[in-house]
Amino acid sequence: MAQGFCNAGDAGTFQWTASPPPSTYQQGIGFDVRPHVTGWNRALQREMLVRVSTTDLESARPRAVRIPMETPRVPVRSFFFSGDHGADRFLAATQPDSPAGRTPPQKSGLSTPIAGKTRIHPPKDVIKLEDRLQYLLQPSLETILSERSLEFPFVPFPYQMEGIAFLYAREAAVLADEMGLGKTMQAITAIRLLLRCGEIRSVLLVCPKPLVSNWQQEFAQWAPEIPVAIVEGDHQRRRWQWNLADVPVKIANYELILRDRELFEGTDLSGTDQLKFDLAVLDEAQRIKNRHSTTSQIARAISRRRNWALTGTPVENCAEDLVGIFEFLVPGHLSSEMKPSKMGRCASDYIIRRTKDKVLTEMPPKMFRDAAIDLLPEQRETYRLAEDDGVLRLSEMGDGATIQHVFELVLRLKQICNFDPATGTSAKLERLEADLEEVAASGRKALVFSQWVGTLRRLSKRLSRFGTLEYHGKIPPKRRNNIIEEFRNAPDKHVLLISYGAGGVGLNLQFCEYVFLFDRWWNPAIEDQAVNRAHRIGAAGPVTVTRFLVSDTIEERIHLVLEEKRELFETILSGTDRPQTKMGLTQKEIFGLFDLQSPSGPIHYAA
Amino acid sequence: MTTSDVSTESPLGFLTVVEDRKHGLFGGYLVLNRAGRPLEFHCTAPVRANRAQEILYGPTLRPYLYGEQIGRTLLEQGKHGTGMVLTDCEPMLSVGEFITSPVILVGEGGGGVSPSRNNPSKKTWRVDPAQGTEPKLHFFEVAGQRLALRRNENAQQRDAVAQSLEALATSLDLSEPFERIRAAIDEARRGGQ
Repeated sequence: MAQGFCNAGDAGTFQWTASPPPSTYQQGIGFDVRPHVTGWNRALQREMLVRVSTTDLESARPRAVRIPMETPRVPVRSFFFSGDHGADRFLAATQPDSPAGRTPPQKSGLSTPIAGKTRIHPPKDVIKLEDRLQYLLQPSLETILSERSLEFPFVPFPYQMEGIAFLYAREAAVLADEMGLGKTMQAITAIRLLLRCGEIRSVLLVCPKPLVSNWQQEFAQWAPEIPVAIVEGDHQRRRWQWNLADVPVKIANYELILRDRELFEGTDLSGTDQLKFDLAVLDEAQRIKNRHSTTSQIARAISRRRNWALTGTPVENCAEDLVGIFEFLVPGHLSSEMKPSKMGRCASDYIIRRTKDKVLTEMPPKMFRDAAIDLLPEQRETYRLAEDDGVLRLSEMGDGATIQHVFELVLRLKQICNFDPATGTSAKLERLEADLEEVAASGRKALVFSQWVGTLRRLSKRLSRFGTLEYHGKIPPKRRNNIIEEFRNAPDKHVLLISYGAGGVGLNLQFCEYVFLFDRWWNPAIEDQAVNRAHRIGAAGPVTVTRFLVSDTIEERIHLVLEEKRELFETILSGTDRPQTKMGLTQKEIFGLFDLQSPSGPIHYAA
Repeated sequence: MTTSDVSTESPLGFLTVVEDRKHGLFGGYLVLNRAGRPLEFHCTAPVRANRAQEILYGPTLRPYLYGEQIGRTLLEQGKHGTGMVLTDCEPMLSVGEFITSPVILVGEGGGGVSPSRNNPSKKTWRVDPAQGTEPKLHFFEVAGQRLALRRNENAQQRDAVAQSLEALATSLDLSEPFERIRAAIDEARRGGQ
């Protein structure tokens, strides 16, 4: 190895300098070497022994793991459909030579395309997978409507499309939307679609008499191409109308189907065949809540494949009401013994119910104010005498006192709360007049509800300066539409005095912003219906509802009962497991209004 | 089995896959007439790759499962000839290797995005597509709806597809039938077992 050293240069670099070669010296050293005799010398002279060993370098074949990668067969389920989901057989049948057939809607300024993707879901009672898929694989409702060129005067709300899809898919259904959400329009559109798809050919629509013309108008608006016949007139005329083959929709009132019951039951002596329908629709279906009533029996006798019930109040008084409606829709599906929560679950797939606060979030609010009123002194005295006298008489009757006797007393006391029969004074009227001053001064309109025609007539005289009109059972039906139109259009008519019985359903009075419940109905659902004459789609502004309640009278006690009924309604329709509330008024409770002891035996229904 | 009749009258096939973490991949194939009405529907039992397939197929696993195992099997069940097959899953485009009809991607093909892209919690992932595993796409629009074909489809084919879909796409949302398929698969899973 070269040796050297390095030192630093001037510029901080290192330089390598080789070392000079080393000096060497030699010195002789002599040794006398004599081999020492050992056994090793001999051993060194022997020949070497070589041993050979062999190693096999060839290794064993490695073991391989085989992983099959072939494509396994994937199981597949297949379903086939006709693709012909209803040609327009109805139109083909009614055009062009059908006398009742109307021209299908042409493209017009009214036509409005509908956006959205409302799916048609199968009802739970459709079990077969293939049938369920048939529903799920259909295009959206909007596509189907568009495909059939079904046009609408207004764009339906999304919840209305849901309602139409609900009805369209069901053979049995309750459309139980809160009043004012457009049940009529939804039912008409579903009917229209089913007719246009050829799934039904004949429809019977039964409604309360005052609503017949309303249905006719709604059909003209929402399904102008569908021929509609109002069944009315004498026996001969009705028979002819019932048998009009080219009119797919027939509208009749409840009283009329009672008169023509033999045609529905197939017992007509003249040999006329039993009437048959593909679809029967009952409007205000609470009319059949009592399954023992004649109306209910005849409704159930109608020969039909599908049936729908329309009602904003499927439970008016008690759960039995819903059982009555279901006896028409799906006999035996509900029973009176069911707890409300279970009944709600069993009925849930058949019922669709939406409330305004849920679906019309942009709708003007509905504000309630309970006007607590103290009776005027003379009214209070009359009331006290009447109550004391009535209670005394009921007490004296003992076990002979019936529910009728109690009701009579209740009605008498309620009437005194309205007007003192002796002097005609009324604390409620004074309050109402004060409120109406403001209503009229602001150019607005108000509805005043009472259960008595007599009360309404008295009010009419006393409130005439506000421009009053009356709408109740004493007004001939033919005049009623004109009264509504006058109230709507005349700027000097500010008050419509209206009875719960005649004006509780079917009227569209959304131009009113004030509702007064001069006296209370037995049933919160009826009150809701009344209020919703004004608070419905198209309401211009907030609706203020004033409920008159005279303190320390029968009205206050009834108010508590109404609140309990409202709870029952919520329990059934929400399907929740809330504690069960009282199922209507028991006899004990009715007697309890006057702190009286009840004779034995329950009374199940209060109203 | 599908044919290559890209006319304005022939039915349309819609093919998609629903991923289920527990069971695997469910394939669905819906054939609609031009009015949007269902003519036939097919769905597969769940398909799940085993560990060996995951390792050995690597980045080609999804196109294999979607296109070859599921898509091809479903299309073989079809009784109606379809002018084209639409899918919303990008890996399903590989089914085009087994049929003569064009396979069109509707939208962005989100149904076929690989989990690694979808899973931001995963620490490493490929930023470049594996060589030859992801088809190069030619995007185009018909009536405002974004569609894509594989680049190896010729221009003439693309024009024919666009022309065929032009009238339909103005009235029908081409992504909507996939919702029906998913609803039907869900129903079949719950009710058909």
